[in-house]
Amino acid sequence: MSKILSIIVLICFAKLSAGDVTGKISFAGVAPKPVLIRMDADKVCKGSHSSQIVSEEVVVNSNKTLKNVFVYVKSGLTQKFTAPSTSVILDQKGCEYSPHVFGIQVGQELLVTNSDATLHNVHGLGKKNPQFNTAQPLKGMKLKKKFDKSEVMMKLKCEVHNWMNTYAGVVDNPFFDVSDANGSFSLKNVPAGTYTIEAWHEKFGVKEIKVTVTDKGTTADFAF
Amino acid sequence: MSLLNYFKKRYDTQVEKRSYSKIYLVLSLLLFLSTTWAVIDEVSTRRPWKNYQTEYYDLFKEKLLTSYEEHLAQIDTAYINSLQNEINESKKELESDEYKNLSNELADEQQNYIDATREWRFAKSESDATFYEYKHKLNSTGVADEDLKNKLVELDTSIAQSARLMIEVDKKVADVKFQIGKFKNKIDSLEKEIILLTDATEKILIRANKTSTAPIEIRQVMMNDFEKTSFGDVKARIDRCQTCHLGAMEKLMSDVPQPYAKHSLPELLEKHNPEKFGCTPCHRGQGNALTAGFAHGDEDHYWETPILKGKDVYASCNSCHYQQVYLKNGVEFSKAKQTFLEVGCVGCHYLNGYNDVKPIGPHLNSLPAKVSVDWAFRWIKNPRDYNTQTRMPNFKFNNDQSEAITAYLFKIGKESEFKSNFANGTYKGGNATEGMKIFETVGCQSCHVVGKNTKVREARGTSYDIAPELTKAGSKLNGDWIYDWIKNPQHFSPETKMPSLRLSDAEAKHIVAFILSNKDETTKEKININISSSEKIKRGEKLIREYGCYGCHKIKGFEKDGKISVNLSDFGRKRYEQMDFGDIAELPHNSKEDFVKDENGKIKVKHDWNGWVTGKLHNSRLFQTERIIQKMPIFNFGEQEIKNLKLMLMSYRVDNPLPKYQQAEPERLSDINKGQKLVVHYACINCHNLEDQGNYFAASLEDPSMGPPMITMEGAKVQEPWLNNFLKSPTPIRPWLKVRMPSFQFSEEELNTITKYFLAVSKKKLEVRDYASFKPNEKTLPTGKYIFDAFQCIKCHQLGGDVADAASLAPDLKLAQKRLKPEWIVDWLKDPQAIQPGTMMPGYFPDGESPLPDLENGNVKLQMEAIRDHLFNLNKK
Repeated sequence: MSKILSIIVLICFAKLSAGDVTGKISFAGVAPKPVLIRMDADKVCKGSHSSQIVSEEVVVNSNKTLKNVFVYVKSGLTQKFTAPSTSVILDQKGCEYSPHVFGIQVGQELLVTNSDATLHNVHGLGKKNPQFNTAQPLKGMKLKKKFDKSEVMMKLKCEVHNWMNTYAGVVDNPFFDVSDANGSFSLKNVPAGTYTIEAWHEKFGVKEIKVTVTDKGTTADFAF
Repeated sequence: MSLLNYFKKRYDTQVEKRSYSKIYLVLSLLLFLSTTWAVIDEVSTRRPWKNYQTEYYDLFKEKLLTSYEEHLAQIDTAYINSLQNEINESKKELESDEYKNLSNELADEQQNYIDATREWRFAKSESDATFYEYKHKLNSTGVADEDLKNKLVELDTSIAQSARLMIEVDKKVADVKFQIGKFKNKIDSLEKEIILLTDATEKILIRANKTSTAPIEIRQVMMNDFEKTSFGDVKARIDRCQTCHLGAMEKLMSDVPQPYAKHSLPELLEKHNPEKFGCTPCHRGQGNALTAGFAHGDEDHYWETPILKGKDVYASCNSCHYQQVYLKNGVEFSKAKQTFLEVGCVGCHYLNGYNDVKPIGPHLNSLPAKVSVDWAFRWIKNPRDYNTQTRMPNFKFNNDQSEAITAYLFKIGKESEFKSNFANGTYKGGNATEGMKIFETVGCQSCHVVGKNTKVREARGTSYDIAPELTKAGSKLNGDWIYDWIKNPQHFSPETKMPSLRLSDAEAKHIVAFILSNKDETTKEKININISSSEKIKRGEKLIREYGCYGCHKIKGFEKDGKISVNLSDFGRKRYEQMDFGDIAELPHNSKEDFVKDENGKIKVKHDWNGWVTGKLHNSRLFQTERIIQKMPIFNFGEQEIKNLKLMLMSYRVDNPLPKYQQAEPERLSDINKGQKLVVHYACINCHNLEDQGNYFAASLEDPSMGPPMITMEGAKVQEPWLNNFLKSPTPIRPWLKVRMPSFQFSEEELNTITKYFLAVSKKKLEVRDYASFKPNEKTLPTGKYIFDAFQCIKCHQLGGDVADAASLAPDLKLAQKRLKPEWIVDWLKDPQAIQPGTMMPGYFPDGESPLPDLENGNVKLQMEAIRDHLFNLNKK
C-alpha cells in the first residue's frame, strides 16, 4: 500500500492552499462468509501457499471497516495534472494479484511483474481504454502499460487462473487512495475547493460525498 | 397626362425641330440602372457561394493559425535553440586559419585540375590530328611516315602522363573536400534536423497565408459517362457542391457550421473520393445548382432527387452495393437490408437481384401430421392471436375464407406421403424439467423463445422472431411430430433451415416433454367448420392464388405461380402523384411527422412519398376504400423496422451509376453477397459474431465467453476441406461449450457458397491446396517444442485426450494440423487481440519481441513458425 501512496504526487505547493481529505469506510452489514479459492488446477499456485486462500472481493476489517475501497476526487478539479514518472507496480505472486485494488493516473506507467514460475496472462478489460491481453510465461517477466483515458474501474484478469482478478482506478488527477486494513484512506494535498469524492467497492458499488477542502484538511467518511 | 401632352406637342412640332435629348436621357438612365442592377445581381445576389467562400477562407485561416500555434507549442524551442547554437559554434570554426587554408587549397587544386584536364585534352587532340596526317600520307603516297609514327608514340606518353596528373589532382581535391567536410557536414546535418522539426509547422503558416489569395471560383467535379438517361443515352454528371462545401475534405474544419464543416464520416470518403465521385451519387440533390435551395432541392419541387436528409443518405449505398447485405461503414444500411430480407418482402414483390432468396415460411404440404384443423383455421384467421411476434402477417380473412384455405391445405395434406420415422408414442418418457435444461443449453433458445426467456429476442431488437415462439406450442403440436422433427427436421421438410442438434433419444424425449408442457392457457371460442366440401377446397385454392400464400410457403399445386405483387426495383423513384392516398387526410407539408395517429385513432399522413410509405408500412390496407380493395396483408412492424424498410424502398432505383463508377472486385463481392444472404437465411449471426454483426445468443448467457466463437476470420483461419467436413457433421472443438454447433444439412452448393464467402471476407481466393503436404522445418522442431513448453500452452489448450492443466478453455491443439491454415497460426500468434478483440488467448510477443530472445537469434517470425511446425508435428508421435 505504501507504494500506492508514494505515487501520489504533490503538485500544489505553498502558492495554493491545500489540505488532506481523510476518512474511513465503515461497513454496517454482516461480513459475508469468506470465499475459498481452490488452486488445485495449478500445482505451482497450490504449492506457493501453506494456508487456505480466500477471495479478496469483500474484506471486512476487525474494526468493522472495509478494505480495498477505491476513493478518488471525481469532479470539481479544474487544473490539469501531469502523470508522475514513478510506476505503479502490479505483482502476480502466489497466483494472486497484489494489490487487489489500485489507483493509477492517466499516462502513468503500470509495471506488471510475474513472480511465479507459472504462466500468467494479464487481460485488461478496459471499456474506455483499449483491451490488452499479454502472456507472461516466465518468472520475472515485466510488462509496461499506460492508459490514456480515465476509467473507474478497469478490471484486469488472468485467463489461466480464473480466480485471479484486480481492479485499476484510472483517474486524471493524483488524488486517490485505496482503503487499508484499518478502513482508512487519505487524499493528500487536495487544493482548497469543493469536490465530489467517490468511493468504489467491488461488490457494494459506489457512494458519493461532496466535500469542501480548506488548508486544514477535511474528513470524508463513507458508509457501506 | 403630361406624358401624353408631351408626345402630342412633340408630334405637332416639325420633324426637323424635334429634340431627342429628353428621350435619350431617360433611356440612358434606364440603361444605367439596369446595368447596375445586373452587376449587383451577378456579383452577389445570385452568387451566394462567393460570400461563402470568403467566409470559408477566413474561418480556414483561423483554424490554420490555431493549428500553427499548437504545432509551435509542441516544438521543443530549447532544443532548436541548442541546435542553432551548435550551428553558430561550428560556423565560428569556419573563421579559423585551418579552414581558410583548406578552402584556398581547394581552390588551387581545383584550378590545377582544370589545367591538367586541359593538358590532357590538348595532347589527345594533337594525337588525333597527327594520326589523321599519318593515315592521310599513308593512303596518298603508300609510304608510312616514320617521323609521324614516332611523334604518335611520344604523344601517347604525354597523354598518359597528363591523365596520371589528372587523377593525382583529383585525389587531392577529394582529400581537401573531405577535410573541409569535417567542418561543414555537422552544420549541414544540424540545419537539416531543424528543418525536419519545423518544416511541417512552417508549411501550415504558408498555407494560412495563401488563403488570403485563394481564388473565389466555382469548384466542380465532372463525371463523364456516369449514368444513363431514361432513354438509354450515356450522360455525364456535374457536381458543384464543393463550391460552397469547401471544407468537406479538410480535417481541420471541425466544430464549424455548414456549409464550411468537414464531412462527418471521413473514413467513407477514403473509398468514395469526392474529387472523382462527386457528392450527389450519395447525397442526391441538384449537382450543378449553386444556391442552397436549388442544390438541395427544397425550392425546386420538380427536381426528382432532392437531397437525402439525416440517415436517409444510407439509401444510396444500394445504388452500387445492391449485392451486399452488411456494409462496414453503413450500420443503418446493414440493419435495413437484414430487416428487408428477414420479413420476406421478396416473397411477393419482384426485385432485381433477389430471385435467389429462399421463401421464409415452412412448406404446407403435410399439415395434418403437424397441427389440428382448429389450430390451422385460427392461425389463418389471425396469426398474432396465437403468437404476437410471428412474421406471418394478418390477411384479415373472414371465417369463410379461413375455412376454405384450411380445407385446401388439409386436402393436399391428406395426400401427403409423410410418415414419421418412429412408431407412435416413441416420444413418451421424457421429463419436462430436464427438457428445459437441455433446451436452454444446447442452443434452442438462440432462435426460439419460450416463456420469459426473451433475452435473445431483446438483443435482436426486432418486433418479429425468426423462428416460432414455443410458449404455447404444447397446444399446437403433437408429440410424435415434435420427436420426428427435432431428431431430423429435414425429414419433414427437406428445405427447412431448422438444423439438427444431434439430440440423443433421451434428450429428444425430454425436449418433447418440455415443449408439450407449454400449453396455450387462453380460452378459445368453439369453432365448427367443414373442410371436406369440394366447393370449399376449390375456393381455398383460388384464395391462395389470389393472396399469394405460396410466396412464403411451398404449397402443392402452386409450384409454377409467380410473384403476385408489384415490382419494387424502381420504387425509390415513384412519384407521389402515382400514389393513392384513399380517404386518409393530409398532414401539412411543413409537418415534422410523416404519419400521425391521434387519440381517437384517426390517422393523417403527409401526401408525399414518405407519408405514403410510412402509412403503408404501419397498415398495409390504410389507403383502402370501398372501390379500391387491397390485398397486401397487415404486418406488425415496429418503428425501427418501418424506418429500415423505408430506407430500403427509397434505395431501390434503376438509375444507378454505370459500372465504371461502381467498385471493382465484382467476383469477391458477389461471393460475399451470396454468403451474406445465406447467413441471414440460416440465422448464423444469431449465435456467431460475423462481420461485426449479431452474436445475440451471448445475451442469454451469464458468461458471454461461453457462447459460440466469432467466425469473421474463418476464411483465413481454417483449411477448406476441414470446414466442409465440419459443416457437414460438426465435431466439438471447444468441449467446454455446452451450446452445440447444429448440423444444418447444407447442400453442396451452399457449402461452396459458405466457403467462398468466408474466403472473400478474409480477402482470399479459393484455391486448391494440399494441406497434408505441409512439411514442418525439421531443424527448428526442437525450438518449437521448447517454446511450446516454456510458454505453457497446455495450461489452457487441450492436447488430444490429455486433460489440460488449469483453465482448459482453449481448443485441442492436436486438431490444428488438419484444421488450421499454416500461415494462420503465425498470424494469430503475432497479436490475437488484433484479430479477435477480447479473446482469452494472450499475446506472447508484445511489440514484436519474444520473451525468449536467445532462441533463433530472437527472430520472432522464426520462433512463431517453429511453434506452428511443432503443432503440425504433434500427431506424428
